[in-house]
Amino acid sequence: MKSVFYAALLVAAYPFSAFGQTASDLLNAADTPQSVLTYGISYSQQRFSPLTQINRQTVKRLVPAWSYSMNNNTGEESQPLVYNGVIYITSQNKTVAVDALTGKEIWNTPVDYPPDTTRVVCCGIVNRGAAIYEGKLFRTTLDARVIALDMKTGKQIWSVKSGDAKDGIAMTSAPLIADGVLITGMAGAEYGSRGYVEGYDPNDGKRLWRHYTVPRPGEPGADSWPDHAANASGGSSWTTGSFDPELDLVYWGIGNPAPWNALLRRGDDLYTNSILALRPKTGEMAWYFQTSPNDPFDHDNITSIILADLTINGKPAKVLLQAGRNGFYYVLDRKSGQLIAANPYVKVTWATGVDKETGKPEWTETTKKAIAYTEEIQTWPHITGGTNWYPSSFDPRTATAYVNTTDYGMKYQPDPIDEIKNLKPGDSYRAVKISPIFNADGMRGHLRAIDPLTGKSKWAIPFKSPNWAGTLVTAGGLVFTGELTGEFIAVDSDTGKILWQFQTPSGIIGQPVTWEHDGKQYVTVTSGTGGVYVLKTPDPNLAHVPPGGTLWTFKLIDE
Amino acid sequence: MIRAYRACRPPLAGGLPFLRRCTTGRVVLCALCLLVGATSRALAQDEAAARGERLYAKYCSNCHGDDLQNNSGVAFDLRRLKADEHARFVNSVLHGKNAMPSWQGVLAPAQLDDLWTYIRAHGYEQ
Ligand code: HEC
Repeated sequence: MKSVFYAALLVAAYPFSAFGQTASDLLNAADTPQSVLTYGISYSQQRFSPLTQINRQTVKRLVPAWSYSMNNNTGEESQPLVYNGVIYITSQNKTVAVDALTGKEIWNTPVDYPPDTTRVVCCGIVNRGAAIYEGKLFRTTLDARVIALDMKTGKQIWSVKSGDAKDGIAMTSAPLIADGVLITGMAGAEYGSRGYVEGYDPNDGKRLWRHYTVPRPGEPGADSWPDHAANASGGSSWTTGSFDPELDLVYWGIGNPAPWNALLRRGDDLYTNSILALRPKTGEMAWYFQTSPNDPFDHDNITSIILADLTINGKPAKVLLQAGRNGFYYVLDRKSGQLIAANPYVKVTWATGVDKETGKPEWTETTKKAIAYTEEIQTWPHITGGTNWYPSSFDPRTATAYVNTTDYGMKYQPDPIDEIKNLKPGDSYRAVKISPIFNADGMRGHLRAIDPLTGKSKWAIPFKSPNWAGTLVTAGGLVFTGELTGEFIAVDSDTGKILWQFQTPSGIIGQPVTWEHDGKQYVTVTSGTGGVYVLKTPDPNLAHVPPGGTLWTFKLIDE
Repeated sequence: MIRAYRACRPPLAGGLPFLRRCTTGRVVLCALCLLVGATSRALAQDEAAARGERLYAKYCSNCHGDDLQNNSGVAFDLRRLKADEHARFVNSVLHGKNAMPSWQGVLAPAQLDDLWTYIRAHGYEQ
């Protein structure tokens, strides 16, 4: 069945396979560790590489091969793609192709946008990466366009306007190519936009479908907004989903309701803070699972979604894993959306647990207060969440997830109703006063090795500033990630011991990848501080971390 | 939260030089100020700064840092603005600069004044 399916795709893709990878290349991405073909490294987004040349023993010989200036000061969150000896990478103001072995620029295509664009960019002036397919590179822009460039020359082939700053919409995430459709999300729940996920024809940019994430009166889910389905807003979709080709389902994380202040929006507020299982060809929803109904805390459910095969009670299970921003680690049956496990992986005080049958959180008294009164409360985790957009990785051999966590709480107080009753798209849709409550030990974050079924950490290493970078795990027994103070680190995946580190010129908020060329393994990552934590949160530990984007590639030096 | 703002400062850049030398704090200790009847003006300044603080939290803090505390260098540290840079401030805020958005049509002139009062009250160089 599976091979018939793959063969059909191969035939479909054959005429276009002259340059740029095909649909079948994408399906096999996990088994072609030489390249990095898609966001998440493979459709399952495990960010696991079977490469072993760089390992616990050899990592001490890891040295820079080259570095390249991104000529951008606003932060580098982009995941590099590596194909046929070329690295493709984005920042908010450009897309570039760089020779993977020498670090020499091949082409550089600027991104321009109107001056009012970043009014509705809440959380870092960034872009998180591209998709490549049949000779084209696809990316989104801050002024909410989806564009296609020629992979050889960087010349623009098409550009489509998806949303507008006036409606509170921006775009920062990497598109996903699934079943021949380009799928993308948008940002803007902090500005009252109405969220959606979209599918485009990669050939010409024709929009094939738009799936709104919050309903209008009469639509499914409208009764979960008893106060005002007519203006239901939020539910942005600002990270990249994963894809199960066999089930033909794309899994997309959907963000918080708007405004954060919940005084005027009772009900579950579907489909905010949910995972949606969508058909890639049509955008039709097969199922949804909501993590934080009626959320006042911006527990924006956009953290990375990992597809894995686990053994549960002796039986094989096709699951979906998500370290939720609300502090619970979720394991779902990815065919049905049924909850299998939900356990806290950081300190959680807003709910005492999650009901196994309904999947609903059991609220504490402080949460009940926070949705109804303007009194100040204290709660964990902070709006930043137990983790955030930066993706985690998963080692399928040990069933362990490697997650950078933020470990602090907040004082929280909703503004009075007067502040929210006349909001319109484009306005600031927060309307709450928040200040962080940090731990006495001065440690604001950890890198954790988590058992998805229990949420428990096998090990955890503390950091003064939370790591705002993705993780990568390899069969060489290493977890790669970066610190906001610039250290690029390799950690023993069994023990949590830092085995190697390299000081890059700025803070790391990027996504490490590894690849192979002529039998040699390389590791690539960006440096360049930014992102919402760094911009907004006072942190004395970051006083001497200058901005400035660079792209780095490392290899083993000969013995 | 309203902090102690420098009393006796003129609303915008310029003004009489002796007024600039007044003491920091809500209580006006400066006899000269009393002489020129500036107490009510000081209170007006406090109110403008408090309005500016709210505007800042809403429109600017996500890039320029909570309470003006900017540890990234990604966006300009607004505490660096000097008394004679009012024109630069207005120009940048209305028209934008690179990733810095334009705010024309969103912020009214009076709101720009409130923001300026708040920012200057915390300036490195008074
Ligand atoms: C989306 C992020 C963002 C927001 C929101 C933002 N700024 Fe900025 N601002 C920046 C960046 C980035 C720069 C640096 C621009 C440069 O020099 O390239 C900047 C620079 C500035 C400057 C200095 C410009 C110059 O003359 O060099 C001023 C003044 C300023 N901002 C004021 C404000 C005020 C006031 C607000 C709120 C009304 C605000 N900004 C909101 C990102 C932002």
